[in-house]
Amino acid sequence: MRTIGLVLTLVLSSTLTGALDAQDVQPRLDGRVSPEVQRAVQRIAADAAAQGLPIDPLVQKAIEGAAKGVPGDRVIAAVRALAGRLGQSMAAVRDGGVSTPGGDVVQGGADALNAGLTGREISDLVRVSGPPQDPTLTLRVAATLAALGVPAKQVLTLLQGLISDGRSQSDLLGLPGQVQTGVAQGATPAQAAAGLARAAGGLPPGRNPDWVPPGQRKPKNPHKP
Amino acid sequence: MKTFDLRVKQLLDGDLSLSDLPPELRAEGEEALRLLAAVDRTPVTLSPALDARVMAVVRQHAKSPALGAWRWLNTPRDLELRLRVRPWTVWAGALAAAAALALLLARAAPAPVPGVQARAGTRDSVLVRFVLYAPGAHRVAVAGTFNQWDRGAALLVPAGTSGVWTTTLALPIGQHQYAFVVDGARWVSDPGAPAVDDGFGRRNSVVAVTAQGAHL
Repeated sequence: MRTIGLVLTLVLSSTLTGALDAQDVQPRLDGRVSPEVQRAVQRIAADAAAQGLPIDPLVQKAIEGAAKGVPGDRVIAAVRALAGRLGQSMAAVRDGGVSTPGGDVVQGGADALNAGLTGREISDLVRVSGPPQDPTLTLRVAATLAALGVPAKQVLTLLQGLISDGRSQSDLLGLPGQVQTGVAQGATPAQAAAGLARAAGGLPPGRNPDWVPPGQRKPKNPHKP
Repeated sequence: MKTFDLRVKQLLDGDLSLSDLPPELRAEGEEALRLLAAVDRTPVTLSPALDARVMAVVRQHAKSPALGAWRWLNTPRDLELRLRVRPWTVWAGALAAAAALALLLARAAPAPVPGVQARAGTRDSVLVRFVLYAPGAHRVAVAGTFNQWDRGAALLVPAGTSGVWTTTLALPIGQHQYAFVVDGARWVSDPGAPAVDDGFGRRNSVVAVTAQGAHL
């Protein structure tokens, strides 16, 4: 009996919290979106809040659509799709071992899903991102790498390898910039990422000491004219 | 300046005698000895008033009250302290100290949370510079999740007549999506940044802002 009471209290408090969060949506949308969009987004946000999902990204998406002059029905569809990704991300992050995920990590997962990663890949990334790593940061880097065009599987392998090697968060944050440098020098995103993975693991067998990762240039010898 | 042979220097140091030098160096050795003797024997005359001046300064320092106080404070002395306490006051003090320590430890230790946890980021801001090459544009702005996608909130400034527009914004730590708005109507993603589908058939640029800086 006591257990049932506790569960009921939790459910009621969660619903109440969701309703309170959803109430904050209206003043943020006032004057920014059409009344039709406002009503729809409020409903979507209330559902999301009841599930413990962050609602700020939903409000942002609605405002973004209106600012870009997108028709109302497309704005609503985009907000609904984002709510779906947030839910999927929440489940994936929980599968990865974070029992009570914060809004940041859930949004990071949703961004990674939008960039092309799967829920399972997100769970795997969260799982390897135990302390001192930050799963939010890992997911953000993963989303950025995927957005740059690095295939999702390669993103997963690269990040898992670097985290297992004990690389710092700064090292992870530097990856998108290094991939961009490789791409600017003529490599594909996949080649640039492969080069980074090889460089992180040392020289591959059979390479000579002058070998440089694809997309990177051999440093100039300052003693040669 | 004349440079003496190494063996002549050894002669001056007393390591060699004049007879140890080869005949061709003896004249040089004798000259060096003459010069050294002249230097050594130059008389030094001290001013007759030097003693009086030095002693005047010493007496002045001895009379200084600040120095006297410092000497008094700095001189080690024997000090005897007699303290008579009742046993219950010792126990009460010990209990109060233990309670204060327990309170401090309880406040300092974070609550244990099972499993992997996401860490909350700080709310600090980082300055991020936005640059767009838009020759012929009359007005360029940057809009994104950091300014509620407001097309007029963050205008870029033209850098001369080169067609380069730029602005620097303080962005909160986190990942932000943004796009440039050219002439109030045309939404353009940043060619120098990764981009993601915005859900409306366009692309948003992405910038990750961390305490270490902004990362594209």
